[in-house]
Parts: sequence; structure tokens; C-alpha cells
Amino acid sequence: MEWPFAAAFRALRSPREAFAAPPPGLGRAVLDMALVWVPLALLNATWSAIRGLRVYESLRGGALPVHVLQWLRLDPGNLQELVAALPAPPTFGRLWPWLILLVPLGALGTWLHHAVWDHMGLWLLGGLRAESGFRTTLLAEAQALRFAAVGTLVGLLGFLPGLGVWLVLPLLLLDAYLWMFRGFALAARHGCEPWQGLGATAVHAALLGCGFLGLLALLFAMIRVAP
Amino acid sequence: MRRVPWVALGALMTWLGAWAASFLQPIAALLPGCAFKRLTGFACATCGLTRCLMALGARDWSTAFHWHPAAASFAVLLPIAALWDLRRAWRGDPYPRLPDSRLARLSVWLGLIAVWVLQVARGI
Repeated sequence: MEWPFAAAFRALRSPREAFAAPPPGLGRAVLDMALVWVPLALLNATWSAIRGLRVYESLRGGALPVHVLQWLRLDPGNLQELVAALPAPPTFGRLWPWLILLVPLGALGTWLHHAVWDHMGLWLLGGLRAESGFRTTLLAEAQALRFAAVGTLVGLLGFLPGLGVWLVLPLLLLDAYLWMFRGFALAARHGCEPWQGLGATAVHAALLGCGFLGLLALLFAMIRVAP
Repeated sequence: MRRVPWVALGALMTWLGAWAASFLQPIAALLPGCAFKRLTGFACATCGLTRCLMALGARDWSTAFHWHPAAASFAVLLPIAALWDLRRAWRGDPYPRLPDSRLARLSVWLGLIAVWVLQVARGI
């Protein structure tokens, strides 16, 4: 009997061979992705929400991460005024039904988002073939995200007390690898060169990574390293 | 799947995102700046996008155009694209394929680089 996620770790270790087998149908690939990713994402979101609520409460109590604010060249006084006026956080009991609704929607939304932007990136790099369209990209993304979902599991290590701070950089590097990993699936399913698949994910990251994703990454990092 | 107006749904989500971003206005000064600009001193291609989105949420079109002309122009075109997509979905037509043309790809690359150069030149 294989360990859970053994196939995913094998695929991540040998990305060129991970997509050598004939692809399943799109519906099967999306179902497989959802069955692996959604439970892990729910676990991650639950832990993030509990931790986020605790951080929010401690911020309201005046425990500001002054060294982080100084690094960001922000005035702690301004933030102190702002957080003092913030409302009390909701209880987790009121939050969890929203998580159950929003996490699966978020997973599917992320899959579609990656497919749209990676397809665009692949086109910009000349990696699209006449016979393969957007459906092929959707399939490649679903297959890659099914394997990359183990990153969510590994990411939970970042919440370990004391260890989280030290794992921020390795986990960011893992995130970067998992981001690029989709490129191997794109290359295999579209029949283009691996550099074109990897480049498509890089173009996607360059266009979006500088803006909102950077901001989100910073917010998540702050939740993990906050006292 | 052909009957689903994905572009129109995307336009709706963008509009909701802009509306939600307008609530960030009171804490705009506290949001961290662009990491790329902090490291290199130059604006990135998406510098000004958050401020543009917040202005769009407040329906302040001239300010939005100032912060990111390309994104503001894209926002103007979104309703037209959404209407086209609704018509396409109604008729059950497939989406057209992206053109297999080096010239088209080169034009988009040049457009992206031009936006970046514009943002750097204006010191956004």
C-alpha cells in the first residue's frame, strides 16, 4: 500500500515524467483535483482563520509588530489609532459556514484563473498548437494542481509555533516551485517545449505577482510570524 | 460550457473586486508598497493598479486613468466585452481561438512593455 500523497511527491520530484501517461477526461481530472485540494485547503483555511482571529484580537489589544512596521516604513502610531477603532472579530462558530462555502469556490476560481492566465502566457510564448485549445489548458491545470495541492499540506508547517518564522523563506521557495510546476503539465498536454510551459507561468507571475499576490503573500506571512 | 458567459462573469467579478477595493481607501496609506519598486527603485508593470482599482471602485475615472491608463482603459472595454460574451453564450457559439500570428503576439508583448515603460517614465 502506498503512503497518502506518495504519487504527488513523486510527480513533484520528477515533473517531466509526471504527465507522460495519457490524460484522463476533463471532468475526471477536475474531480480528482477537487477531492485532493478542497479538504487540504479547508484545513489550511480553518487554521489560518483561527490564527488570523487570534492575531486580530492581539492587534486590537495593542500588540503591534513594531519591527515589521518599521521594516515597512509605517508609523506604528497611525496603525494604533486604526486598530483601536476596529470592531470585535466574529467568533469561529460564525465563520466556519463561510469557509465551507468559499473554500471550494476559491479552489475552482483559482483553477480557472490559472488556466486563463497561463493560456495567455503560453500563447504569448508561441506554445499553443492549432489542435489544442483552452480545454487542454484546463485539463493540464487540473492535473498539475492535484499534485501541487500537497504544498497546502506542507504549508501547514508554517503555523508551528517557533518554527513558522524560520520556514517562511523555504515555504516561499516551495510556493515558487509549485507555481512553475504547472508549466510541465502545460508543456506535456499542449505538446510544446518545457521552457514554453514554464515561461507561461513566469509571464503570469510577472503580470500579477508584482501587485495583488505580493500584497496577499505579505499578509499571510504577517499572520504566520505575528506574536 | 458554451452557454456559460465566462468573460461576462469575469467582468462581474472585476466590478465586485473594484467595489470591494474602494473599502481599502481609509487604510490606503498603510498598505505596503510594491516590493519590486522598493528593491529596484523602478515601477513594475502593475504599479498603480491597486490605486487605480480603488479609484474605479469610487467611480473616479480620471484618477483611475492617472494611476494605470491601461487598466482603466481595460475597465472601459469590459462592459463591451461582457455584452459580446452574453450574445455569444446566448447563441451557443464557441469562443474564437487566439490568433496563431507572430505579429499579434509581438503586438501584445510591445503593449505590455509600453505600459511598463509608461509607468516607469511617469514615476508611478
